[in-house]
Amino acid sequence: MTGRIFAAAAATGMVLSSQAATARDLAFIACPIVQDTVSVPCWLAQYEGETYYMGVQSDVSAPFTPPWLGHMALVEGTPDANGTRICGGIVLEPVKVSVMLEMAPECDTLLMADPDYVLPFEPRRPPGPSGGQLAFTYPAPPPPPQPPFAARSFEIYFPFDGGVNFQTPNALQAVLGYANAVSATRLEVRGARAAVRLTDGTVVEERQGLAELRARSVGRMFEGLVPSVQDVAVTYSDEPQTGDWQQRRVTITVTP
Amino acid sequence: MRIPARAMLACSALALGLAAWQAASAQQGAPEAAQASSTEDAVPNGGRRWWSPGEGGIFPQRLDYRNDRGNLRLFNRDGAFSTRGHPFFEPIGTNGRACVSCHQPADGMSLSVQTIRERWAETSGQDPIFAAIDGSNCPSLPQADPASHSLLLQRGLFRVGLPWPPKDPWGEGSIVPEFTLEVVRDPGGCNTDSRFGLNSANPMASVYRRPRVVANLPYTVHRNFGIGPFVGKTGEPALRDPENGQPVNMNIMADARTATLATQAIDASITHLELLGGLNADQISQINAFEAQLYAAQVHDNRAGNLLLGEGGRYIGPENLANGTVGVLGNNTTRWVFPLDESWAAPQPGLTEGENAMRASIFRGQQIFHFRTFWISDSMHLNTVGLGNPVKRTCATCHGMHMTGLDTANGWMDIGTTTLPWAREVPLNPWTEERELMPLFRITCRADVPPHPFYGRVFYTQDPGRALISGKCNDVGTIVMQQFRGMAGRAPYFSNGSAANMRELIDFYDRRYNIQYSEAEKVDLENFLGTL
Repeated sequence: MTGRIFAAAAATGMVLSSQAATARDLAFIACPIVQDTVSVPCWLAQYEGETYYMGVQSDVSAPFTPPWLGHMALVEGTPDANGTRICGGIVLEPVKVSVMLEMAPECDTLLMADPDYVLPFEPRRPPGPSGGQLAFTYPAPPPPPQPPFAARSFEIYFPFDGGVNFQTPNALQAVLGYANAVSATRLEVRGARAAVRLTDGTVVEERQGLAELRARSVGRMFEGLVPSVQDVAVTYSDEPQTGDWQQRRVTITVTP
Repeated sequence: MRIPARAMLACSALALGLAAWQAASAQQGAPEAAQASSTEDAVPNGGRRWWSPGEGGIFPQRLDYRNDRGNLRLFNRDGAFSTRGHPFFEPIGTNGRACVSCHQPADGMSLSVQTIRERWAETSGQDPIFAAIDGSNCPSLPQADPASHSLLLQRGLFRVGLPWPPKDPWGEGSIVPEFTLEVVRDPGGCNTDSRFGLNSANPMASVYRRPRVVANLPYTVHRNFGIGPFVGKTGEPALRDPENGQPVNMNIMADARTATLATQAIDASITHLELLGGLNADQISQINAFEAQLYAAQVHDNRAGNLLLGEGGRYIGPENLANGTVGVLGNNTTRWVFPLDESWAAPQPGLTEGENAMRASIFRGQQIFHFRTFWISDSMHLNTVGLGNPVKRTCATCHGMHMTGLDTANGWMDIGTTTLPWAREVPLNPWTEERELMPLFRITCRADVPPHPFYGRVFYTQDPGRALISGKCNDVGTIVMQQFRGMAGRAPYFSNGSAANMRELIDFYDRRYNIQYSEAEKVDLENFLGTL
């Protein structure tokens, strides 16, 4: 739970549950729910009779990427230990949300706004024009590396069952910066796919072939951008590794 | 396992082709130097609207044409010039067309269906715009029959024949598409034609699209906000300028298939002008120089009067476009997409009550454009880029670039204009003999790729859009949007001409996103769009 939300709770009298929730990680697949407000909508999901808050609509810079109605979502998050609620749902933070690829027309719940409900914080991006900047600031690039240069690995993460997407180029900037700074002689992209053990014990695997797809599509993104590298090596392991969202990745090794 | 790192990327084949054409083409005589710097009455062809290829004459610095809503002005930033010998205005191909044939000044440098019909009537269908290659539903049809040109005459659509499967823009050969393309309906006959169809010796998909606007192009081809090595919405590598290797914004064509105005000119000279020898370097340079300095926008409204009047008119007219900031986002409180402020809407001395009331309506329309929220849903490359589905936003969310309302590049997206169930289709029932003009394709996404997020694995489209270039299931139906300027002169709207006028355009959005605009809101929006 961030200090930002605690402060907002104190200021607005946000509802705190009388019985603190257990801070155990949750992983479940459910229909997302849109709860409109007089400002931006909240995104919720329900699991075992409880409603959880995942985040609000913002812009492309936001760490929380809202899911899609019409699709189920894989929700991986930690319920707030104090049971803090926003839009009626216990806050999950941190939270990772992945859109499941198959269509699910039953996921169509859009709850109209309660005009008396006020979000316990000022949304960084209203539903209309912005204030002239992105809602969130991307991390500053690291300082230029100093010699002696060493081989270094970077990891690019993906949503469940997902490949290269709108977030990948930004994640790749650090790799490109390092590779060009050290005049890399070799780039190796290793793809992986994952499996997730849900809270109910079910294990769900990412689609077959995804490790190769991730590695190839990321490898292709380097073409022409690191002049000192003639070839980008692409490897992959399609054996699913069970774990959290950090297993859904490619690992890029830059060799000076 | 390795993949090659290529230094020079997209359009390398085009670059080689360009070099070959440059070498092979005989240098044509340099066009006449601009002969007039002040040509206030030098309207071509005695003031007629239609510019015929090769008619010569001066293109003055400012040139106004009337349309249904008022006056549109063309503004040559670099001054007047003679069109004689200029490759944009001369019939340099083999079918009698020039670029200007389909990019008419009076039509905001596009071509309205009204003008097309007038040309058919005046020339009995002999004008070069009706050339068999793309001015008819299919070259194999009897060309004297107006029914063979029905898509052009009724919807303002030219045929675009694209190779299927798509050529690989990054190397040799073709892309392996993620979907199969089957012809379900082919009223024009070209997709099933033995010479031009999908099963011909050179398999082609024929789709039918409106001519793009050749004005205000610095805003279209900018390399500023959002332009980088990767497509911001998908993460895929962006096309690059074959001359310098720099990434481009891919906003020129409806399917983003061409990298630069130079490569577009080369492509168009072959496919539309049937210029067999190709453009030479000087011709490309002249065409691109003209395109880079021409601006077009409304300056007068029939009911509001002079749109440039008063303090607040700094977004109106082509001169302000020529002086505007290019390639910046406008969907914010520090710049706005169309920065019309309250001072513009304040009653102006000297105007009638009715004219001031119209200005107030236009201002309300601009406010609706920027602030009226609605739920944008199931739109590929909008809801899928971190905003969620649905997203509660406004018109300016997608039409967000300052001064033109273009999308942030690289901007292809799908709002359903060409794809069922949203696309306009003639209803079939026992009581009508009317039949749909547009082709219909069945798309089946391969089993080893994810289904389309909003249409599923099997769906239907009149035009697969970007997917005919990328081969991607998710790109089916995605189109690069058109700028908002000069709309009053160039109906119909959308790439498939499915909105006959501005009201139909607004009504499409109202239905598509269940906006529930009031009649007053629709009127205000239409009045606003008519001033751009």
